[in-house]
Amino acid sequence: MSDGYDASAAVLDYPRRDAQDKLTGRTLYTVDRAGPETLKAVLFRSKIAAGRIVRLDVEAACRAPGVRAVVTAADAPGQFGLGIADHTIFASDTIRHHGEPIAAIAADSLQQAKAAMDLIELDVEPLPALLTVEAALAKNAREIHSDWKNYEILLEGAKRGGNVAWEATVERGDTDAAFARDDVTIVEGCYRVGRQSHVPFEPRAVNARYEDGRFNIETSTQVPWTVRSVTARALGVPESHVRVTAPPVGGGFGLKFDCTLEPYAAILAKKARRSVSLINSRREEQLTCLCRENAEIRIRSAVTASGEIVGREATVLMDCGAYGGEQVFLTTMTAHTLGGNYRTGAIKLASRAVYTNTQPNGAFRACNGVYNTFALERHTDEICKAIGMDTIAFRRQNVIGDGDLGATGQVFEGDVLRPMLERMAEKYPYDAPAEPVRDGWLRGRATTVGTWFIFVGPSSATVNLNADGSATLVTSGVEIGSGSMMQALPQIVASELGIEPDAVIVKTADTDASGRDLGVGGGRQTVSLGAASTQACAEIRKKLFSVASELLQTEPSRLILKEGRIERRDGAGGSVGLTEVIARAEATVGPVSGSGAFTAPGVAAMPGCAAGHFIDAIDIPVFAVHDCELDIEVATGRIVIRDYRVIQDVGRAINPRAVYSQVQGGVVQGLGYALHEEITINEEGYFDQDGFETYRIPLAEDVVPVDLEMYEGAPSIGPLGAKGAGEVPILNVGATIACAVANATGKPVSELPLTPPRVLSLLRGRTDALELEHISRNWRDNVIS
Amino acid sequence: MAIEFELNGEIVHYHGDPRASLLNALRETYWLTGAKVVCEEGFCGACTVHVDGEAVPSCLRPIGLIANCSVTTIEGLAEPEAPHRLQTAFREHDVVQCGMCFPGMVMSLSKLLEDNPTPTREEVKHGLVGNICRCTGYERIVDAVMSLQDNSEARA
Repeated sequence: MSDGYDASAAVLDYPRRDAQDKLTGRTLYTVDRAGPETLKAVLFRSKIAAGRIVRLDVEAACRAPGVRAVVTAADAPGQFGLGIADHTIFASDTIRHHGEPIAAIAADSLQQAKAAMDLIELDVEPLPALLTVEAALAKNAREIHSDWKNYEILLEGAKRGGNVAWEATVERGDTDAAFARDDVTIVEGCYRVGRQSHVPFEPRAVNARYEDGRFNIETSTQVPWTVRSVTARALGVPESHVRVTAPPVGGGFGLKFDCTLEPYAAILAKKARRSVSLINSRREEQLTCLCRENAEIRIRSAVTASGEIVGREATVLMDCGAYGGEQVFLTTMTAHTLGGNYRTGAIKLASRAVYTNTQPNGAFRACNGVYNTFALERHTDEICKAIGMDTIAFRRQNVIGDGDLGATGQVFEGDVLRPMLERMAEKYPYDAPAEPVRDGWLRGRATTVGTWFIFVGPSSATVNLNADGSATLVTSGVEIGSGSMMQALPQIVASELGIEPDAVIVKTADTDASGRDLGVGGGRQTVSLGAASTQACAEIRKKLFSVASELLQTEPSRLILKEGRIERRDGAGGSVGLTEVIARAEATVGPVSGSGAFTAPGVAAMPGCAAGHFIDAIDIPVFAVHDCELDIEVATGRIVIRDYRVIQDVGRAINPRAVYSQVQGGVVQGLGYALHEEITINEEGYFDQDGFETYRIPLAEDVVPVDLEMYEGAPSIGPLGAKGAGEVPILNVGATIACAVANATGKPVSELPLTPPRVLSLLRGRTDALELEHISRNWRDNVIS
Repeated sequence: MAIEFELNGEIVHYHGDPRASLLNALRETYWLTGAKVVCEEGFCGACTVHVDGEAVPSCLRPIGLIANCSVTTIEGLAEPEAPHRLQTAFREHDVVQCGMCFPGMVMSLSKLLEDNPTPTREEVKHGLVGNICRCTGYERIVDAVMSLQDNSEARA
């Protein structure tokens, strides 16, 4: 009990209030909300990956039956982006990827809109497409953005050039000296991963209207405020002319952490003077998915015989596709993921977002961390092999602990990974008797560690107390499925105000009503919105206690809120009901409300270490230890997961049952990534996997129950010490599976996913350790000088 | 020519294109949006409804073939005040996340339980072969289905 309320009351397995309607099909997602009066829109997209538009004529399409509006680049010339404004919503003269929108059409019916697309006349002069990072970085490669020097810079400090959209570097200490030492073993490895598609069941979708001179956008998004600002930039209108609301979202996983369809619907609605619905078909959703990026990595480490990492150099090439998008920001994360986990002497890291003539990539649950953790953990096991050290002992010795320096020189607080690792080893000893391995199968097990963070940043909350003793929480939060808006937030507000969670009404995002917010992602919703809500409730308590102190004839500091009443802390004297105090307040000072705000506290990095980073140090680190035991069928290369175990740093679990659900779901998404999910791009720049038939996501029979132990008590500035729990479960799944397969087969695992053909090729000795010639061993060659 | 069929216990006459999918007809003619448009290829199961007592993906059924059939959608499976026991179990076990797959899950599993009231864990998982969920990782869904049996732990 502190400050007049019982914070621990927030912790409970409170059920979801949206379950009933979701289970009975009554929840209306954005895709369900376009009524018969709404026009249906389609996007006319490029069928080639690179080219110049010679002629575009939409006259015939404009006159087609049922067509109400046709828009092109001329209607929305504004450039936007993260870090650099390199993107427009329509291609105007240059086509940079397959599927790039060139025009949009709204018509009375979807069929009419599609029919009108066939009447658009487009002449293009194809250009040779640069479809791989290697091709885009080759000497004398064509510049995909010939005008890159003239783009508006939105964040200063990064090097750019040619097809390198953005470069983030870390330099701490003298790696040359470390690698030159005569007492070190130098270990080197290359790693490669493909793209992962989010496949949210609700595709990106938007309904837009133009009313009273403003755009009214209802959309399936994780980031209402980003949609507001990008739409305004794209359409060249003030941000205040855009209102964004978000109904329940049918899955996001990071895909909806960017503005995509909204500006098209908005401009069509203005031109047609009608409501417009734009929904990606499943094929479009897949073919224009802002995937987890494909990446290529080289790591070199200098390690002493006793297992001290004295030097490390790494280069990470991230394919951002045709536009920088989220990748520009995500270059930041290499420092905190590949540069995480272990105490390291001198370190140099380069993380480059590279333009290619492919579909832009985006953010996906634990973004760049997933493959950097895969590379780092495989590399760590290779180090152990090279110096003859046990992999668990090496990790226990080297994991980041209290007072250790991170890559960018930030000082970490608290020993978290080491006790988690020890707990895993204690629960599941490697020497425990095991079920015998079947004939024709191999068994492998691995334990890995991972470092991730909570993406803090601005959030705001207002809480209005109602006359009936209920409270309305107004934020820009969105319920994307994780349950934060349904569980953690009402639980926190209820405990702060001494009322029941059912008495907390949760209003979801409406940029006309709720304060600015970074959005739902990066494990931030419970932490950032929770912290802002906590502050709003503190203001309310202060006001209530002031009024109640007169009623109870005592000092405000002696009062507490409990079970809908205000009473004296010492139990003496009477008590007064919350509704009575609210009524009294309305009569004397007015209705009671409170507001709160939160932002990143700004943990310090070492000055001069990091360049081109959006975040130099991570405010709330999150750690995970994963362990997997699997069997491999030698004849087929098929992998069967036997056991999957997680110890996750949750800070403090506010709704433990919901945390379990997030971990089970996140690990299974990671299993898909590790075992079979991959987008490949053909020579036309088109995805080979364009739907559910070819892009296989995990099915019920593929999965196992995840054994989770929550690690509580690690430092966190979140409410009650909470950390986000939804993002991190996917972090080291790829790493753990890869290390277990390497252990089972004794082969170098350098690529994901581990499909049966890839595993078979490893088993039959047809795959050598990966070598990436286009990433130099000399780190300096890999960065812009 | 109108297509007559029974929809959630009521006789209706459909006047549109007989080649339209049952899914589109449900959503755009009858404004029953519980069946979801997800893959439209019969893989995901989010549009599952009961046609003459069989659980089928409504995206693959042309409405023309529904003439004289009886169709039950998630909206017609149970009254909100008296939900199906599966819906109650899913709610009590806090299984739902984004929710897009659940109407289809409920329609498939309600049929499974009708045919096999005491499935094993493996049988439940096998029964979900045509219902994909991207959020939950399935195990909690199976736990909830198993909870409907006595001594479910013993059978798990």
